[in-house]
Amino acid sequence: MILLFHNLKKIFSNLNARLLIGILLTGVLTILGISAPLITWYPPLAAMLGPPYQPPSFQHPFGTDDLGGDIYTNTIYGIRTSLIVGALSALIALIIGILIGSVAGYHGGFLEDLLMRITDMAFIIPQFLLALIIVTILGPNIYNIILAIGVTSWPGIARMTRATTLSVKQQTFIEAAKVLGLSDIKIIFSELLPNSLPPVIPYITLQISSNILVEAGLGFLGVSDPNVPSLGMLLNNAQQHILMNVWWMSVFPGVILSLMILGFNLLGDGLIEYMNPRLRRKMY
Amino acid sequence: MPGLATFIIRRIILYIALFFTVIVVTFLLVHMAPGDPTYILAGQVNDPEFIKAVRHRFGLDKPLYIQLLIYIENVLRGDLGYSYFRAEPVSTLILSRIPATFLLILTAMFIASLIGITLGTIAAYKRGLADAVISLLSLIGISIPYFWLGQLMLITFSLNLNLFPTGGMISLTTSYQGIYYYLDILYHLVLPATTLAIFNIAYITRVTRGNVLDALSQDFIITAKAKGLPERRIIFRHALRNAIIPVITFIGFNTGTLLVGAIVTETIFAWPGMGSLLYSSLQLRDYPVMLGIFIYGALIVILINLIVDILYGILDPRIRRG
Repeated sequence: MILLFHNLKKIFSNLNARLLIGILLTGVLTILGISAPLITWYPPLAAMLGPPYQPPSFQHPFGTDDLGGDIYTNTIYGIRTSLIVGALSALIALIIGILIGSVAGYHGGFLEDLLMRITDMAFIIPQFLLALIIVTILGPNIYNIILAIGVTSWPGIARMTRATTLSVKQQTFIEAAKVLGLSDIKIIFSELLPNSLPPVIPYITLQISSNILVEAGLGFLGVSDPNVPSLGMLLNNAQQHILMNVWWMSVFPGVILSLMILGFNLLGDGLIEYMNPRLRRKMY
Repeated sequence: MPGLATFIIRRIILYIALFFTVIVVTFLLVHMAPGDPTYILAGQVNDPEFIKAVRHRFGLDKPLYIQLLIYIENVLRGDLGYSYFRAEPVSTLILSRIPATFLLILTAMFIASLIGITLGTIAAYKRGLADAVISLLSLIGISIPYFWLGQLMLITFSLNLNLFPTGGMISLTTSYQGIYYYLDILYHLVLPATTLAIFNIAYITRVTRGNVLDALSQDFIITAKAKGLPERRIIFRHALRNAIIPVITFIGFNTGTLLVGAIVTETIFAWPGMGSLLYSSLQLRDYPVMLGIFIYGALIVILINLIVDILYGILDPRIRRG
């Protein structure tokens, strides 16, 4: 018990402010997103729930939109969409990135050159525009959005994985595994990745943050699943009616979106510092 | 400088390969779309004669690889098809919009580089409270999406304080002459440029801060201090000078992000550049224009990257070995 307490104390004393605020922000928003049906009292995307263009009131805490829809309900459900799209697209990016990065780093030679040049290319292409075109052409539904963001956002993870793989590859236990005659695939999965992945973790958080931004950006330009409430879609609607000076249509979804992105950025920055205490001097 | 030449040639080969990849990806996407690609290339037109002409022009009646070759040839000739809602060639349409977009990007980047580099250097050198405040603000700055920031600016400064126009590039009610014409454009530019600049100020501040911190811990700074050089001189002549190269590269390599930022910002302020064009073509499902903007966007990003590569190669000899 004392030992447990001691360990907890140690863990907490190592946590930095950014990591704590990041955990808090993303945690609260995730809970809000998950419990959306419990904390809202209208169905999402419904119209005619009240008079149109109503400023915030007790029935409609975030006001109503042009069709008399409840902005609070749609915003809370929008958190859900952002988190799901952000996490799943980051997962796709992670799988592609790790595969390319670890194979390139481990294999070396021509294959590494080829894979890294492909990564360079994918880095330079305006990823947002590519995702936009993919979704528009394949049809704007939530699956295509996740897929499009996933397949355009892996290069950062690939670069990171390759860099960490290169340093782990030098270690003696990899050499030992080779001497023991383990297959390359087995070495990559059971020896290399468990050691080269941890430094990549903070960058996954930052990837989620950037993917949430891309999803909202697509929605803002009108490329969103019409059947799924999303923060981008709400901001697009706000844009179409912006000259009516209905500030609540833009302010509430925007604040929530910014807090979500800020939360994941803090989490990522905080994790980087937490995992490399030597960087502390360099961080804030 | 044989190293530099080899380096540049390798990059050029990479960029040419990239441009071809962009064309092939665009082509494949058009063919992966559900339904007949003719409608994507021709727009929703129900004139059988016209459909036939489009089929013939893109060789849609021929095998796929021939179609690809025809498509590549068309793109290389600058022929990206017609916008069917504006009855104009896509290339003409896009090229007419590029100056407005560039004006917006360059203004924003000028402001952002100036303020970002200054703030980043202050944060790295002063540390303490100044650093904490600047770092916190820059983290918030990169977390606020462009498009929402733009809406806030518009709602606050145009709709409620009536300080700036709500959109466009020139006043439609009065026609200004001479210098006033340009001042009018500048007046319209304030809000969109500020919107685009804020995110980049935050980003450049972060990058500069990290690089200056790195530079400050190098041996030559310690030597400079040991020589008793004044602090101002150490920061500007030694630390900043070494920290600035990666910052410039960073700015160059983020042209893609910038272009996207400009596109989104233009949508909010009806700034008549590529972004407004993209937005209207998205709403009209004007595929040739959308694909055209993607291809031109990629081309712009590639060219700027090439310029940055050359600058980098000249400024920092170490990179040539890479």
